[in-house]
Amino acid sequence: MSDDPLARLLQHPALWRGRSAARLPTWPTGFPALDAGLPGGGWPCAGLIELLTPRAGVGELRLLVPVLARLSALMPARWLAWIAPPFEPFAPALAERGIAVERQLVVRTAAPLWAMEQALGSGACEAALAWMPRARPRGLRRLQLATERGRTLGIVFRDSLAAREPSPAVLRLAVVPCGAGVEVSLLKSRGGARGTLCLRFGDNCA
Amino acid sequence: MPTLVFDAVYREADASRPLAVIESVRRVQRIVIAGRAARARGVAPGMALAVALTLEPRLDTRDRDMDAERALLERLAAAAGELTPRVSLEPPDGVLLEVRGSLALFGGVEALCARVRAVCRRVGTRARLALAPTPLAALAGARAPRGHAAAPSPVMHRAQLIGALAPLPLATLRLPQDTLARLAKMGVTEIGAALRLPRAGFARRFGHDTLATLDRLVGREAAPRRAVVPRERYRARAEPAYELTSQPALVAFLAPMLEALEGFLRGRQGSITALECRLHHRGGAATRCRLRFAQPAFAAAPIGFLLAERLAATTLAAPVMACELVTSRLVPRRSASAALWQPGEHGGGPGNEAPELIERLRARLGEQSVYGLCLVPEHRPEAAWRIAEPLAHRGAGTAVAADRRPLWLLSTPLPLPSPAGGHAWPQYEGPLEKLAGPERIETGWWDDRDVARDYYVVRSRAAALLWIYRERQPPHAWFLHGVFG
Repeated sequence: MSDDPLARLLQHPALWRGRSAARLPTWPTGFPALDAGLPGGGWPCAGLIELLTPRAGVGELRLLVPVLARLSALMPARWLAWIAPPFEPFAPALAERGIAVERQLVVRTAAPLWAMEQALGSGACEAALAWMPRARPRGLRRLQLATERGRTLGIVFRDSLAAREPSPAVLRLAVVPCGAGVEVSLLKSRGGARGTLCLRFGDNCA
Repeated sequence: MPTLVFDAVYREADASRPLAVIESVRRVQRIVIAGRAARARGVAPGMALAVALTLEPRLDTRDRDMDAERALLERLAAAAGELTPRVSLEPPDGVLLEVRGSLALFGGVEALCARVRAVCRRVGTRARLALAPTPLAALAGARAPRGHAAAPSPVMHRAQLIGALAPLPLATLRLPQDTLARLAKMGVTEIGAALRLPRAGFARRFGHDTLATLDRLVGREAAPRRAVVPRERYRARAEPAYELTSQPALVAFLAPMLEALEGFLRGRQGSITALECRLHHRGGAATRCRLRFAQPAFAAAPIGFLLAERLAATTLAAPVMACELVTSRLVPRRSASAALWQPGEHGGGPGNEAPELIERLRARLGEQSVYGLCLVPEHRPEAAWRIAEPLAHRGAGTAVAADRRPLWLLSTPLPLPSPAGGHAWPQYEGPLEKLAGPERIETGWWDDRDVARDYYVVRSRAAALLWIYRERQPPHAWFLHGVFG
């Protein structure tokens, strides 16, 4: 922290200064290369993230495993909500990767927007993941507001085709599989760099 | 409760209409009690129905309903539980509250009486109140005819008791009719006169029981009361004036019922874990809305919110004739201090947001749609986890150590077509590339779900990592069981 009052003021998280690095509270992603590209050096602690994938299961969940493990280890623990997941979250695999199984909440619904808004706005969850193939920008705007209300990290999984639509999310990433890892393109970030980077997962398919 | 008979039969009736309750006495229908509009026309208790009808041809009468009176009395006793824990019934029309200990709490006699009146209004009747040091004296005071010279209640001290009781008619003690008649022949019609009679002679003429009544009246003898033991479940039924067809009307109709429930729970210092709302139709089975709370609930507002959510998701087969609320067994209420910090702030606890969230989600999406996860020490993937109640206090369970497990599991394995039978690699949106395997997972004879499978990790053409297996038994079918995500 500088003693200069102007520099201190510019550090304020509510101040958005173009591409400059206004500090946001963040969680490390677990991938140093990705941390370097994201504003604040990680996933935001509260806010809406959009992950665009060509199809479910290309590695987008493995990208989140480090942060989910970190969030579920926090004390006091809040919940991790899975809204309308495409398959069953496999509890032994979660436990193996350090995610606390007893703090997971799975919600099966045909209307994920409402459930996601409740989960984000309630303040009961540390993070909420929702699979929303038919999300509209207005709905996402509501989710973004709910993340601020509940101080929750919201992650929405959508189809790659949605990249053309505008989005109120603070962070927007396109994830495509690439060899033994994923290729992550930063489509939108407040003050972060744009670009594409290739991440490799460990050998353990984890 | 001077109007109990009336209130039990006419709930929320229009006071401007001439109303009366009738009862058959020796095959003559007589008025038991008449409403204000009917009394204004000269209809009086004891009058034959035929006479009353000539006075007021538009008179609307209903038969006396003893069960409803008793139910109303019990409801009143339960509601009065919020003022004092010692409530006893005095059938047919009295309720006794022991309030000595509550006077300071509620701020004196006047404030307490106002609260008792409010309770009566909520239950749907009116009370004549009397305060006295002994239960019988209080009853006598309350039964004293209105406008009687002697009704100087409240009597707070025993020294004033006999003076206050003396001018009251003996009939207020509800002694047997022949006793009262014989006393009247002696010129004794007031309590004071009866108390002045010599005790020995009084006991010989009118029996020891009558003397004991007088002794209990003035407190010479203890008068133990049997306190009402509140019901362990709450059940209430109400019928709307009109059939209800829309959800908003239903919610509005249920709101006062839920408030009554809250008052009942406050009196018992209890809370409920489940509530069933039965909506009765003209024909056919009742619609049932079951609410289960993630943590014991007692306040009307959140329960009403959840019920409204559930009703919004229910389709009504027919208009609703009556609503019934039935609760689970009561559990003692646990109160907790509010946290200084919000959850998620530094040092903030998990709070009660999680139970609220789970209830809200369940109210709209259904009980089974919201669940937690639990590990089971099992080697078969589909048996290695199970659905768990999210807020049940338990550990995560233990897992059999295994690596290379996918993050996603298909609830039913998807059969994969294999061009050359089970011996060639299967197809899933194109050819599959083997990365690891086989891993053999076998047996399950103890629960008749025997498995014998060889698992492989493969990459599909779309570059997704999949977990597939081949049955070891012929015809060696291939299945997709997991996705690494």
